[in-house]
Amino acid sequence: MYNLSRRNFVKLTGGLAAVGLTSPLLTGSARAAEGKKRVVIIGGGYGGAIASRYIRMADPNIVVTLIEKEKIYYSCPLSNPVIIKTRDLKVQRWTYENLVKNGVNVQYDEVVEIDPVKKSVTTAKGASFSYDKLVVSPGVDFKWEAIEGYSEKASEKIPHGWKAGTQTLLLQEQLSAMTDGDPYIIVAPPMPFRCPPGPYERAGLVAWYLKQHKPRSKVIILDAKDKFAKQGLFINGWKELGYNVEWVPGNEGGKVTRVDVEGMKVFTEMQEYKSSAINIIPAQKAGKIAHMAGLVDKTGWCPVNQKTYESTIHKDIYVIGDACIATAEIPKSGYAANSQGKIAAAAIVAAFKGQGEPDPSYVNTCYSLLSPDYGISVAAIWTFKDGQVTKVSGGVSPEKASAAFRKQEASYAESWYQSIMAEMFS
Amino acid sequence: MAGPTPSMLSNTCAGCHGPNGVAPGPSIPTIAGMPYNFLKLMMTEFLKDERPSTIMSRVAKGYSDADIDVIAKHFSELKWGVQGGASVKGKSIDPAKAEKGKPLAKECEKCHEEGGKKQDEDTPRIAGQWLEYLLIKMDDYKTNEKYPQPKKMKSQMDKLSVEDLEAVAHYFASQK
Repeated sequence: MYNLSRRNFVKLTGGLAAVGLTSPLLTGSARAAEGKKRVVIIGGGYGGAIASRYIRMADPNIVVTLIEKEKIYYSCPLSNPVIIKTRDLKVQRWTYENLVKNGVNVQYDEVVEIDPVKKSVTTAKGASFSYDKLVVSPGVDFKWEAIEGYSEKASEKIPHGWKAGTQTLLLQEQLSAMTDGDPYIIVAPPMPFRCPPGPYERAGLVAWYLKQHKPRSKVIILDAKDKFAKQGLFINGWKELGYNVEWVPGNEGGKVTRVDVEGMKVFTEMQEYKSSAINIIPAQKAGKIAHMAGLVDKTGWCPVNQKTYESTIHKDIYVIGDACIATAEIPKSGYAANSQGKIAAAAIVAAFKGQGEPDPSYVNTCYSLLSPDYGISVAAIWTFKDGQVTKVSGGVSPEKASAAFRKQEASYAESWYQSIMAEMFS
Repeated sequence: MAGPTPSMLSNTCAGCHGPNGVAPGPSIPTIAGMPYNFLKLMMTEFLKDERPSTIMSRVAKGYSDADIDVIAKHFSELKWGVQGGASVKGKSIDPAKAEKGKPLAKECEKCHEEGGKKQDEDTPRIAGQWLEYLLIKMDDYKTNEKYPQPKKMKSQMDKLSVEDLEAVAHYFASQK
């Protein structure tokens, strides 16, 4: 039976949106929204989804609008096992329905303009949203020009696999189709970039696959850098597991300057490499909208107040996740973005209440797999002390550990993933 | 100095232990609703390297005694729960093993009463905890000499075979 209560009625008319502000029926709901604080969040990943949820949790009276391009979210963390077919891409797939249930107004749209003076954003679909506070969490964009011959179009043939989904599947297909005996070439980017241990996790997992399916092949990492995250653990682990991985650091000519997409060749200053399987992870910068809105400095990333993540360029705009410049070696990781989302949320809610900047707590934990049963981790805790972010503890997994220990960490990697995704999407 | 609020400190744990301390599995434990003293003891032992761990000793060292007190209190006041991780690839409970484990768990239930649901100052709830976590802990208690445990627990661990302990883990995990 349908009960036509006043409440239902207001809700129904409210659903008709801006049919006519002249309609006297709308004044009720318009008045309800009046005086409410509005937060707009750009980007629904590890940073933005968490910020939206935690603002709603702290104060359900705040109107939170999350603007995200894609209806489906594919997690980058744990997508490397998809390439070697030990994991289904479906496990990486999430939707925004539960955020909507939690009261977040999710808009599948792309922000094309931010006006920091009028405090509003405009989208590709022509909608505009006013804000009291704006959270920008756009992730990374690629510096396509850093390697001559590489481009977005080229990434359909030589994938980057640095945004999960179609790109992950392209790498999967390329790996299974590669010629046994060809090297699997990974071109690793210079710092700073999203997920510092990621290229090396990928290298190990691919080597695990090659050992079984293409025993005449090896992995070659052509690196722009001279060192990398969890380096000792990776290099020892590859040896321990009997992998054939060759790492060419930047100071030994590892830096790739050019690619011949048709010929499937990459060039360093000293040598050319040809293969049926090449993965180029390009150099990176803050996501496009951060550049368009002038939120970046000359580094290509966004400077922020380290206590609140408010932009030091534009007031009332907070930049979190990979796009921001986080000090004290806080990495561009999913967990760091999760921490930053919570810190920015708390800072925004406190500002609305007229309170001072709350004291933050920053955590990062990050797991990498060397095989489906071999995991390693890094963890760190930071506090805000004497005006700056200070690392209090942390470190990587022990250099020497039993197989059972590595297996536990592989299991915890899966559990980490389920927990952090549940926080965003369940 | 005020320092971070209890929720600011504790929310950073959620990325691994699940929203509000309720983990979706398969192997990181739910910590919501655990006894305050137990949580405090665990964190302190991790911090002092008295309890072997994979990552927790590195994490615990980031917090002061006062922080640990606040975090333990926060999670002890939350509600124990079970969260279905729809896509979790964890091992599922085998009813036959759980059945086999039931009589073997009799001795355990002298402390872990009510099928593992009971908890007091230093006994955590184990009923309905994630199976893979219980299996990992059984392995630690059984095979790691350095693992701190009460004498009476150690003697029971010594009596039971690995297969028996596996059955006991299935039994406690099956208790909701």
